[in-house]
Amino acid sequence: MVKRLSDMPEVEASHLRRIECPTYEDTPALAGKPLRERRIVLISTAGLHKRGDRAFRPGDGSYRVIPAETPARDLVMSHISVNFDRTGFQQDHNVVFPIDRLRELVAEGVVGSMASVHYSFMGAFPPAAAEPHAQHLAGLLKQDGVDAALLVPV
Amino acid sequence: MGALGHFLERQGIPTAGISLVREHTETIRPPRALWVTFELGRPLGIPDDADFQRRVLRAAAALLERTDGPLIADYPEDVAEEADFTGWACPINLAPTSVDTLAAEIERLATWHDRAVAASGRTTTGVSGLDMPAAGHLLVQALEGELPPAQALKEAVDDLRAYYLEAASAFPDAGTPAMRKAWLWDETLFGKALLAVQPRLVASTDPQHRILGNLTLIPATERYRLTKG
Repeated sequence: MVKRLSDMPEVEASHLRRIECPTYEDTPALAGKPLRERRIVLISTAGLHKRGDRAFRPGDGSYRVIPAETPARDLVMSHISVNFDRTGFQQDHNVVFPIDRLRELVAEGVVGSMASVHYSFMGAFPPAAAEPHAQHLAGLLKQDGVDAALLVPV
Repeated sequence: MGALGHFLERQGIPTAGISLVREHTETIRPPRALWVTFELGRPLGIPDDADFQRRVLRAAAALLERTDGPLIADYPEDVAEEADFTGWACPINLAPTSVDTLAAEIERLATWHDRAVAASGRTTTGVSGLDMPAAGHLLVQALEGELPPAQALKEAVDDLRAYYLEAASAFPDAGTPAMRKAWLWDETLFGKALLAVQPRLVASTDPQHRILGNLTLIPATERYRLTKG
């Protein structure tokens, strides 16, 4: 179990401390419909994509498209970092990209529906490189009728 | 990555994110975050535990109805540490000998990788577009000849890493993921090849080679091995 950085092995903690985090003016959390009426998209930063799509590269702030019906066997990960576990993803894609769990929450009526297309960035992006892609993506999400995004790191 | 929360919410898309490193999230202050104590690489907690994963996702989704952000909610469940079977040895004798080669090692693992794919129905290899012998050949070339382009080498190495760890998961007594990762570094020619190629990358005049050598080849937790002679 990982608690705070101070509880981690020092070699891992110091790696994480060296990652520069951007700071922003607070962004107001928007109000919206009840969860059971929302259409939700999954956005991963695990560097996921379909096999054969362009792999992620250092400094890459763009995203890849993962249609909801993408079979698990077509998903690969080209995140540039080697400092996180990949055996979980190798065993079960849902531990990184919980598309089947989201489908179940829709079936249970907890959330209204899921987007037709989901997305992955590669989390080692410089924020300035990702911002224009994220702004463009927001327009696409609205076209898909998406009311909310669940952001899943790796 | 909390920055996306700012970017999307400012464009009118409400967001809730999972946080794996609370200190990072406290700095970035995205609109809504669910902090979990799970291992990096496992944001939903436990592979093949749908109930656990669904509870985490439901907790993250529930935050969407809150407007009192920026907020960090603490997820209440932890994942128990894996039992440490000290003294575990790889049950498959990969039998490195003085005449062994990386190509032979890759070939020996093929039947175990086939078994892993048969069990899970999938593989996560296939980023590089190379088959495993060709990926191994590229690594040997990097060791013995001219360095290939950094991106091609990175993709080949990451495919091989996935191949080795997936194959090892199908061993008769597969141990834990942590043991299999230790096996890769302690006992395989592939691990030794990665450690051997790192200085060549760092010494390259190509900045992409240096990024690979310094940052994206050897995990931070294994870098101590580089200082061993």
